[in-house]
Amino acid sequence: MIGTGYVGLVSGACFADFGHQVVCVDKDESKIAALRRGEIPIFEPDLDRLVEANVKANRLSFTTELKGPVSEADAVFIAVGTPSRRGDGHADLTYVHAAAREIARALAGFTVVITKSTVPVGTGDDVERIMRETNPAADVVVASNPEFLREGAAIRDFKHPDRIVVGTDDERGRKVVAEIYRPLYLNQAPIMYTGRRTAELIKYAANAFLATKVTFINEIADLAERAGADVQEVARGIGLDNRIGAKFLHAGPGFGGSCFPKDTRALVKTAHDYDVSLRIVEAVLAVNEMRKRAMARKVAAALGGSLRSKTIAVLGLAFKPNTDDMREAPSIPLITALLDQGATVRAYDPESMHQARGELPNIQYCDDAYACAKAADALVIVTEWEQFRALDLKRLKAEMARPVVVDLRNVYRPDEMAELGFTYDSVGRPQQLL
Amino acid sequence: MRISMIGAGYVGLVSGACLADFGHEVTCVDNDEEKVALLNRGETPIYEPQLGQIIADNVTEERLRFTTDLKTSASKADAVFIAVGTPSRRGDGHADLSYVYAAAREVASVLTDFTVVVTKSTVPVGTGDEVERIIRSERKNIEAPVVSNPEFLREGAAVYDFKHPDRIVIGTNDDRAREVMNEIYRPLHLNASPIMYTDRRSAELIKYASNAFLATKITFVNEIADLSEKIGANVQDVARGMGLDKRIGPKFLHPGPGFGGSCFPKDALALAKTARDHESPLRIVETVVDVNDHRKRAMAKKVAAALGGNLRDKTIAVLGLTFKPNTDDIREAPSIPLITALQDFGGRVRAYDPAGMERAKQVLQNVEFCANAYECAADADAVVIVTEWDQFRALDLKRLAAVMACPVIVDLRNIYAPDEVIRNGFLYNGVGRPLSLSY
Ligand SMILES: NC(=O)c1ccc[n+]([C@@H]2O[C@H](COP(=O)([O-])OP(=O)(O)OC[C@H]3O[C@@H](n4cnc5c(N)ncnc54)[C@H](O)[C@@H]3O)[C@@H](O)[C@H]2O)c1
Ligand SMILES: NC(=O)c1ccc[n+]([C@@H]2O[C@H](COP(=O)([O-])OP(=O)(O)OC[C@H]3O[C@@H](n4cnc5c(N)ncnc54)[C@H](O)[C@@H]3O)[C@@H](O)[C@H]2O)c1
Repeated sequence: MIGTGYVGLVSGACFADFGHQVVCVDKDESKIAALRRGEIPIFEPDLDRLVEANVKANRLSFTTELKGPVSEADAVFIAVGTPSRRGDGHADLTYVHAAAREIARALAGFTVVITKSTVPVGTGDDVERIMRETNPAADVVVASNPEFLREGAAIRDFKHPDRIVVGTDDERGRKVVAEIYRPLYLNQAPIMYTGRRTAELIKYAANAFLATKVTFINEIADLAERAGADVQEVARGIGLDNRIGAKFLHAGPGFGGSCFPKDTRALVKTAHDYDVSLRIVEAVLAVNEMRKRAMARKVAAALGGSLRSKTIAVLGLAFKPNTDDMREAPSIPLITALLDQGATVRAYDPESMHQARGELPNIQYCDDAYACAKAADALVIVTEWEQFRALDLKRLKAEMARPVVVDLRNVYRPDEMAELGFTYDSVGRPQQLL
Repeated sequence: MRISMIGAGYVGLVSGACLADFGHEVTCVDNDEEKVALLNRGETPIYEPQLGQIIADNVTEERLRFTTDLKTSASKADAVFIAVGTPSRRGDGHADLSYVYAAAREVASVLTDFTVVVTKSTVPVGTGDEVERIIRSERKNIEAPVVSNPEFLREGAAVYDFKHPDRIVIGTNDDRAREVMNEIYRPLHLNASPIMYTDRRSAELIKYASNAFLATKITFVNEIADLSEKIGANVQDVARGMGLDKRIGPKFLHPGPGFGGSCFPKDALALAKTARDHESPLRIVETVVDVNDHRKRAMAKKVAAALGGNLRDKTIAVLGLTFKPNTDDIREAPSIPLITALQDFGGRVRAYDPAGMERAKQVLQNVEFCANAYECAADADAVVIVTEWDQFRALDLKRLAAVMACPVIVDLRNIYAPDEVIRNGFLYNGVGRPLSLSY
């Protein structure tokens, strides 16, 4: 497993748990050293136990040396990062290409090289060409096997996927991948074989569609607010339609995270390269981009229009609960906008504050929700961590300078908040109705 | 329950007949005398599977009547449903509410005691308020709560959908009205269809948001199909891979010539307009409307491309005219702008549709209508499959090739396997499936 980040570490640990012999490779020495000491570099529920158990059983090990494990492997997964390239939003494939070259040099015997990283259509062709150029003698098949796990529920997702997509036309390649996933297959997870380019596109199309779904309901939320409807009800009513489904219809501050923003951008760029405009996805990106700063205006509106010299308590920084990942979290542009408008910001997040400090140096980090709320003019809920769902509201109110709550995840009930004396605003729920 | 159904079109007639079938006493009222006369002669003015039988049964059982006399029907009813049309207003695309308001005024003028007025037509957020105002101003002393109960049936499967809905949405805050609605839909509820109670404005928005979302889903995959064609992926597999994701689901991921029909285009447009009125533009929906508008003529260019770029003096056989199979409805069917574009590009068009030709004759000019698929294909330079009627799924390809001038199939519904068609000597072009693909 080349690359021991979120995807590589989770996939590696789960494969080991299935009974395979797995070596996780990363060139980040401190990360490997930490793993060898039994420390888990990321926050992911249950991952520590899974890693520990499989290390003990001698099925899982960690190294910075790529050559040995690759030469002995039946299958090599590429799970390195594919961030947005600075400037143009294309997927940055330098890590993938570099890993491919290193792998090519180390290959020995028949090996299936499998791209697990999210890569634009045609990258599999590149990887194959790199293999052939670097090591013409290698007996290698390049397959695509995009990963759909979600951070925060990564192990469950990996072990209970909706589907496993395997992109290769090569029979030998298919056999090896089928063998790797056999335990899941027995668990009824459908395995779908298709062409490599199609597999690559499936990953982007799925993420772009989910981003569209979220953004669609966000726009409906804004309309609901103005037209006197309740977006929670609208989402329930449309989600009951089994052609639509209830998932990903939660209105909020806009999508973020390590995948949706970069993958939608990369898909749009790929399409442009082929002279196609994916206009819906382009609209989704533009709408989502503007939304996060619009949320800061919402906070300002709740405080009468101005944020100058106001103290704002922000609960939740990670892009979603149960992760410490801050990549493209909506909290970042939101907080930047609050600061731009003259506010002082205090923040608390259960797991991501160490990551956030780099991105957001000019705010005050607090020890818990109540400390964060202290003397604040408004409290903004940005990430729906479980612990924010049942706050002691009386205590919260006592801590605050003004009892104003802006709930960007609709975790509280407007009538309850009003009863407790809060000025309460949420997303897509009109105040006059409540 | 005594039910008065105002408007006996697709929705009113199907709803009325099904509610009668549940055991309610239903009168369908329409101001189109011809339609009512037809229904009273035992004829069904629209094509819809099972509908004729249900109407006949319930008329025999004396639970279902047709009339032009709104007064007698509505004044005696426990609930009056408004199911009149809400087409796009000419010029600006807003929902034209004149039929709804006219019906509301007529209903208001005849009510005698407590009656629930139910808007079943698809109407923009806030229309229920206006209907309520109309009724109040006419009948100050009569309690007549106004409920929103949007309809989600699909033409072609309307009876099935009405009887097995994913959900029944009822928008009202009035307890007495809820009771009446609950009683009306009880048979479905017992059948495990969830009834969702909500406020009226949310109910109104649910209908538009559902249709707009589905339109978005179709258009999303249509754009992915275009990309697939260019990059050598197979959109059928992309859709399958996406659809297996439970958060996405496989429905409405079929690429094609763009959505049409009596609902999606007008509802998506009306929602976009409503949103602009509220200064809350829905940019995704606006984009969807625009992309879909352009798509149909783009399909004509696709046909031209399959024939080497030029349609001048070419004969094109179009199979399927209705906006989808199992209906005779051609309102906003993609076939219309597609055919017009084919003609604009110089093509001669022949067409066949199992149920839609009568209606199509009224809107299309210079099209030769044929008796079946093979006659339609005779001497044609290309066959274009526009609607996926079952009878087009298993055409005798050898026979088709033999009658055509030039064996070219442009399959805008991907109902054929490319290799099979190619094996029969055709040049084949689907949507989002590049020819270079072997799977
Ligand atoms: N994070 C998610 O939720 C998620 C879900 C599905 C797919 N993906 C995709 O999976 C890929 C990996 O994402 P991630 O979140 O795990 O990234 P990450 O940044 O957490 O991990 C990438 C790791 O690869 C290592 N690496 C880079 N080049 C290397 C090389 N040549 N040899 C060895 N190690 C190398 C890095 O040091 C890093 O530890 C991306 O393409 C991403 O889009 C991510
Ligand atoms: N067709 C569908 O698949 C569908 C599905 C769900 C919702 N809807 C909605 O239902 C509504 C009706 O659609 P439809 O397709 O049934 O329309 P339609 O045009 O088939 O039927 C409307 C009928 O109402 C009659 N009418 C108009 N004004 C009247 C009045 N004052 N008194 C009596 N009769 C009157 C017309 O003569 C016509 O027969 C629309 O709002 C539509 O958006 C339609």
